[in-house]
Amino acid sequence: MTAQQTRQVQRVLIYAGAALVLLYSLGPFLWIFIASITPEIKANWGLLSGRRASYFPTEPTLQNYADLLNNSPFALYFRNSLIIAGGNMVLTLAVASLGAYAFVRFRFFGRSSLLVGMLVAYTIPSVVLLVPLLVIFRSYGLINTHLGMILAEATHSAPFVLLLMINYFSTLPRELDEAAQVDGCSRLGTLWRIILPLSVPGLVAGGLLAFIMTWNNFLFAFLFTTTNAVKTLPVMMRLFAMGEPAVWNVSAAGAVLTTLPVALIFLLFQRMLMSGLAAGAVKG
Amino acid sequence: MAFARKRRIDLLPYAMIAPIAALLLAISVYPALYAFWLAMTNASLLRLARAQFIGAGNLVRMIDDPVFLEGLWRTLRWDLAVVGSELAIALPIALLLNVAFRGRGIVRAAMMVPYITPPAVVALLFCYIVDGNFGVLNDLLVRAGIFKEYFSWLSDPAGSFWVIVSAMVWYGQPLMALILLAVRQTIPAELYEAARVDGASPWRMFWHITLPHLMPTIWFLLLLRMIWMSNHIDMIFIMTQGGPGFSNYTEAVYSFKLTTQFEIGYASAVAVALALFLVTASALYVRHLARSVLSS
Repeated sequence: MTAQQTRQVQRVLIYAGAALVLLYSLGPFLWIFIASITPEIKANWGLLSGRRASYFPTEPTLQNYADLLNNSPFALYFRNSLIIAGGNMVLTLAVASLGAYAFVRFRFFGRSSLLVGMLVAYTIPSVVLLVPLLVIFRSYGLINTHLGMILAEATHSAPFVLLLMINYFSTLPRELDEAAQVDGCSRLGTLWRIILPLSVPGLVAGGLLAFIMTWNNFLFAFLFTTTNAVKTLPVMMRLFAMGEPAVWNVSAAGAVLTTLPVALIFLLFQRMLMSGLAAGAVKG
Repeated sequence: MAFARKRRIDLLPYAMIAPIAALLLAISVYPALYAFWLAMTNASLLRLARAQFIGAGNLVRMIDDPVFLEGLWRTLRWDLAVVGSELAIALPIALLLNVAFRGRGIVRAAMMVPYITPPAVVALLFCYIVDGNFGVLNDLLVRAGIFKEYFSWLSDPAGSFWVIVSAMVWYGQPLMALILLAVRQTIPAELYEAARVDGASPWRMFWHITLPHLMPTIWFLLLLRMIWMSNHIDMIFIMTQGGPGFSNYTEAVYSFKLTTQFEIGYASAVAVALALFLVTASALYVRHLARSVLSS
């Protein structure tokens, strides 16, 4: 074989591998999308076992999406997910960037032990926190509230975004702060007027990762909510996965719409999010 | 003067840290300590006020509880199956995505998509794929002639285990691939140039250059993922609730099931025991690693 032929064989192998990766990563989505535009069998229960795998929709329809929005509380759950993930994003960014700035730019007594304490808090697994949070939330009336859910989700997102912002602020030259203070800017003013505007990429990454973590989290939503007014989409996805109600194509539409927001966020802000994801953003 | 300087403690940094410190104290540190207390009680969510301190009572119960004892093996089996499969899939993907080819950016982005998908949706996807009526897996297996008839995967202990593992691996492996790819990119190209000049085969280059450079990261990833998988609940609980029977009851799932049955004292005991075991095991492991690195 000539060198040219070897290179061609290599090229073919590489593209075959790439195609395989694409099929593995996106194949299930393609299949669920096809299921979501395949007409739902609206027949009696006896016909359920008559369902067969379908690969191509012979008569594509958006009826499943309409049924989902009209006949299930999907829109309400979507709104709840949005409130909780958005609220968590705002809370996390506020407390984490304030704290991160203090850790990066100030030297004070107890600095390193406080930082270590926050790292330890980050490593406490959800399994341990579930029961005590359930009891505490019940006694403080935080069960079935958006606020309770926002707080619970902050157990992961706040320390994570803190670390992310500490890393980001460390890359900004200290001279910026000094110049601002020489010009008469207060120290909080420096953070607000100089540092934060320069940290937009870091803030976007941290905020969006907090949003995705919260949007995706199932356990807290399952345990801390009992009414439709607060339940989030992953809780509905669990019922769908269990076949309740037994409307598979409508459920597929729900799965598509639940994934769409985070998938869009990821694809639009891919470059900014990659390093945060590598740091293990979405836990477990 | 010395006194005057000492008295001027700058309160601003403390004020800036106060919000996040208070938040974590309230929702992480205090609950974790509370979990230790609950683990020593017979608390039930239905009669919380009447919870009694029973000391090591839950520990005695655990040692006598077959679900807990067999759960140790089930947790280890789950860890090894998931983490091993993740590595087996992520390593080739990372090496492939390191090679330059047209459209690599798109493949890199697509590879990450499972990892940002909600685990509940991943569970739903895999439940549908293996469904006994309309699932693709059964359809393909029967068409290929491997199976004679449709198989009810999730009602079978071994079948359900491997289906849940597949879902977990599909969801989790992109993290490993991403990190391995990042490390692979830091290996100097000169090493491969020199090896090529010496006439080394691609396999030898992988074995003598790539793998040794990746090994520290691989060990770290294995440890980290083992810990995360030991604590993982979502995928198992959503797909089969730990069933059929107790066949997929890892310790984390057992603790969660106990919680949903309101047995919060014992649930906390199981969770705390798991956490303490993981902390000890990983500390010993890290010390062992540090020693072997220092001695070599």
